[in-house]
Amino acid sequence: MFKDNFNLAFKNIKERLSRSILTLLGIAIGIMAIISLMAIGEGMNVAVTGELSSLSDTILVNVGDGFSIFSMGSMDNNGEYLTERDINDIERIIGIKEVTTQLTSGGLLRYNGDEVAVTLTGIDSETMQVQYSVDGLEEGTLLADNDQNKVVIGSKIAHDYFDNDINVGGRVHINDQKFFVIGVFSEEGMGGLTSTDDIILLTPRDFEKITGESNIYSATVTVYDVNSVETIADEIERAINENHGSDDFASATTMSSILESIQMVLGIIQTVLVAIASIALIVASIGIMNTMLTSVMERTREIGIMKAIGATNKDIMITFILEGMLLSIAGGSIGILLGVLGSRGATAVLGNMGPPGSGSLEPVISLSAVILAVGVSMIVGIFSSLYPARKAAKMSPIEAVRYE
Amino acid sequence: MIFISPVILTKEINKVYGTGSVKVEALKKVNLEINKGDYISIIGPSGSGKSTLMNLIGCLDTPTSGKIYIDDIDVSTLKENHLAKIRREKIGFIFQKYNLIPTLNALENVTLVMGFAGVESKIRIERAQELLNKVGLAHRINHKPSEMSGGEQQRVAIARSLANNPSIILGDEPTGNVDTKSGNSIMEILESINKNGNTVIIVTHDPKIAKRAKRMIMIQDGIVSEEHV
Repeated sequence: MFKDNFNLAFKNIKERLSRSILTLLGIAIGIMAIISLMAIGEGMNVAVTGELSSLSDTILVNVGDGFSIFSMGSMDNNGEYLTERDINDIERIIGIKEVTTQLTSGGLLRYNGDEVAVTLTGIDSETMQVQYSVDGLEEGTLLADNDQNKVVIGSKIAHDYFDNDINVGGRVHINDQKFFVIGVFSEEGMGGLTSTDDIILLTPRDFEKITGESNIYSATVTVYDVNSVETIADEIERAINENHGSDDFASATTMSSILESIQMVLGIIQTVLVAIASIALIVASIGIMNTMLTSVMERTREIGIMKAIGATNKDIMITFILEGMLLSIAGGSIGILLGVLGSRGATAVLGNMGPPGSGSLEPVISLSAVILAVGVSMIVGIFSSLYPARKAAKMSPIEAVRYE
Repeated sequence: MIFISPVILTKEINKVYGTGSVKVEALKKVNLEINKGDYISIIGPSGSGKSTLMNLIGCLDTPTSGKIYIDDIDVSTLKENHLAKIRREKIGFIFQKYNLIPTLNALENVTLVMGFAGVESKIRIERAQELLNKVGLAHRINHKPSEMSGGEQQRVAIARSLANNPSIILGDEPTGNVDTKSGNSIMEILESINKNGNTVIIVTHDPKIAKRAKRMIMIQDGIVSEEHV
C-alpha cells in the first residue's frame, strides 16, 4: 500500500508541477544557505588549520599579552623590549632549534619632501616568512637576509601617508638614509594576526645601522619536538618573566593556542550564520504547509472518494505526508546541489579579496552536513504536512463526495 | 429449511440532522431486509431521504438510532476506521459523477481500491485488467478520466466497485450523468453483475430505471414503503 500512497503523492505533485516547483524552491534555498555556509566555514577552518599547523613547532615570544584573536595585531609593549639576556636564556632551554628576533623603533620616513613618523621593524627573513606571507603583498617581494637599504612597506604608508603613492622601486628616506621599496603589502584592515597596514620592514642590519638600537620587539622560536612545544613555551615565559621580575612581562604563544582561539571564533560565526540560514528554512516550511493546505482544499472531493471506496484515515494521512516529504526532499536535494555550487562560487570570490593566505580557501562539504540537510528537509516535510494531512484525514466522506 | 441471513438488515433506523429547534428527521423508523442476490431500486424525490438511506447502507454514515447489519455485522456503532474496512470489503460504490481519481488512469483507479485492501500488486493488475475487459474498456486502461467519455468513466467506476469482490454494489444515480444509450449499457452491466450473485442496489429518481429492478423501495419524507414489480 505504501507504494500506492507514494504513487498517488507523486502524481499529485506532477499534476501541480509549477506550484510544486515553487514550493520546493523555498526549501532548496534554505538548504542551500545552510550547506554553503557550513562548507565555507569548514573550508576556513581547514585553511587556517592547514596554514597554522605547518607552524606547529613555532612559538612567538613578545612583550605584553601575546597574540590573540581578540587583540588582533594590537600588541602593546608599553615601550619595553626583550633583552639580549632574554634571548640568551631562551637559547639555553633544551629542545629549541632556533631563535630569531624582530626589532622595533620609531623613525622618520621622508618621501618627496614630506616627512612622517613611523615605526620601523627589523626582521630577519625567516621570521618574516613566518609572520608575513608573500601572498599578502600587493606588489614586489619580501626581504632577503643580504638585502641592503631595502624596505617592505604597508599599504597605508604606500597609499595614504603621502600625496603620491609609493610604488615598488620607489625611493624613500628613513632617518636620512636612502632606501628602495621592494614590496608593498595589500590593504588588510581588520583580520590577520598582525596588521601590516602601517609597518615598515627592514633587515636587522639596516635597522641597527639607522637607529643605533637593537630593541627586540619579539622573537620567534622553533623547537625540535612538536609535542613539547607547550612546555617549552611555558619555560620561555617563566625565564623571561624572572629576568624582568614580573609575572606577565612577556608571553610565549604557540601556534596551536592561536589556532584554538581562531577555531573557536570561526565556530561561533558559523553557528550564527547557520542559525540565520535556518530562518529561510522555517519560511520554506510554512510555504509547504500553505501548498499542502491548498492541495487539501482542492482535493476535498478526491479525498471523499478515496474514503468512500475504503481508504482509511491513515491512508489519506500517509499520502499527504508523503507528498510533503517528496517536495521537501526534492527541494533539499536541489538545495544541497546549489549549496555545493554556491559555496564554490563564494570561496572563489572570498579567495580573491580576502586577507593573505586565504587564496587557498576551498569549501568543505562534509558528509554530516549533507546528512543534516537531508534530515532537516525530511523533518520539515513531515512537520509542515502533518496539519494539512490531519485536516484531510478528518474530512467526512459524505460531504467530501458531494463537494463541488 | 435453511435460514439465510440477509446481506443488509436495518432495524428501526432513524437519522436526525441538526440539533435543538432546527432538527430534521431525514429517516423515520426504517426497516429493510435485503437478501443476497437481490436487485433493488430505491426511488424517491429529492429531499425524500434516499441519499441518507444510501449513505447509511453504504457505511458512509451511522444512524442516530436503530441498528444496521451488513453480513451480520452491526455497523451502526462502528468507528470510522472499521467503517472504512467494511466499505472496501463489502461495498462497491458507483456514483452519479463517476468520482474517479483524476490523476490516475483507468487501471490505477481500479487497482487503488485493491491497494487499500492490501492485495498483492501483481494480482491487482491482473484483476483490474480482467474487470476493465469485462466492462468493455480493455483499450482504455492507460487513459485518464479526462480522456474518456462519461459512459466510459462510469464503466471504469463499475470495474472499480467490483475490484474487491464486494457482496453489495451500491449505485447512486449511476445513469444520471450519461446519455440514454450509455445509461442502458451501464444498466445491462449492473444487471449481469447481479446475475453473477452480487446484490445490486440502485438509488434513482428515474422510474424507468427503478422499474428494471426486482424490488422497488419507495421513500417519501423519510418513510419507506415497498412496491413489488
